[in-house]
Amino acid sequence: MTTCPRPGDLYLYLEGGLGPYKARALEEHVERCAGCREALAERRLLHEAFTTLPPFEVPPDFAASVMAGLPEPEEIRSGWLGPLVASAASLVVGLLGFNLLTGAGLSDVLLACGRLVGSAAAGLLPFAAKCFKIAAILARASADLAAMLFEAAGTGFRTVGPWGVALVLGLGGAGLLLALFGARRHLSQGEEP
Amino acid sequence: MNTRGQDSLSKSDDVRLVARALKGDRKAFEMIVRKYEQPLTSYLGRMTGEREAALDFAQEIFLKVYCSLGSYRPAYKFSTWLFKIASNHLIDHWRKKKIPTVSLDQPVDGDDDALLPQVADPGPSVVRKLELAEIRQKIERALATIPEALRELFVLRHVNEFSYEEIADIKGLPVGTVKNRVFQAKELLRERMEGS
Repeated sequence: MTTCPRPGDLYLYLEGGLGPYKARALEEHVERCAGCREALAERRLLHEAFTTLPPFEVPPDFAASVMAGLPEPEEIRSGWLGPLVASAASLVVGLLGFNLLTGAGLSDVLLACGRLVGSAAAGLLPFAAKCFKIAAILARASADLAAMLFEAAGTGFRTVGPWGVALVLGLGGAGLLLALFGARRHLSQGEEP
Repeated sequence: MNTRGQDSLSKSDDVRLVARALKGDRKAFEMIVRKYEQPLTSYLGRMTGEREAALDFAQEIFLKVYCSLGSYRPAYKFSTWLFKIASNHLIDHWRKKKIPTVSLDQPVDGDDDALLPQVADPGPSVVRKLELAEIRQKIERALATIPEALRELFVLRHVNEFSYEEIADIKGLPVGTVKNRVFQAKELLRERMEGS
């Protein structure tokens, strides 16, 4: 190190944060340079003071006073309770607002709400029943198709005999292998060898 | 804030305590408060310069921490998370009070090296003849006079003993910038002590 180190390097050296090569260069320079020797001694003293600043005294009852000011544990579990309470509160506010604006009695409002829910359910229920019926028909048709396929395969095997089955399986396996290797080759096109 | 071995032990302890506190165990949160009350008030005391204000802030911060425990991710160090909340709390307070703050995105007094002169001409040594206790007193007084952006990084490094990487996490700054600012703070302190 030919030039004098910067204060940042001196602090880093004192913290052990300078790499071994740089640290040795700094030590060699400090041996030769009286100004830097003095600067390093000064920073060393300061560094010692910086790192031994006393902590603040905390009153012994501080933790107790913090705990006394905390809300109840239920209040911090905001998972579903918060939104539920908020929606119930907004419903009540909405009902009261409607009551105040229209002048209708609370029982009228509740009756109107009940009618609304009832009419919505009356519209939705037949639609849900139709969907269920269609799903049942589709399930039965697919089960019939599978049974038919199994039956056809059984009849075919019985007709061709064991040698025929072996031939069909062999040809099928070979076809499958060819398809697999063909696909692999097709996918690896353009890659480095 | 500690050695690596103690760090991992302390981290797992903190994670366990947080998990218990989230289940409603108030004793577990009290243990967290007892563990961090001193480092937190030491930080806040140096940042505000008033003991009573520091204790009030600490109380508010612990309340904030308690209410947002659910958002703590165990992948991070609890102390880093706590001090991030504390730092943001102080910034909010200063903003509300309209106390001028120095942005950490801008260099303090010009460019980063403005406060880092070469040491070939060190001038007369002022601290050599002083005893450590006296120096500490001078540091405490000088601390109150440097910009809070530098003071905060200095306090986190030397009072709370966070690593530069942890401070970078807390403040959301690059590690190099944090190191530079801590050195700037030290040199400013040295200059202010010299002038006092």
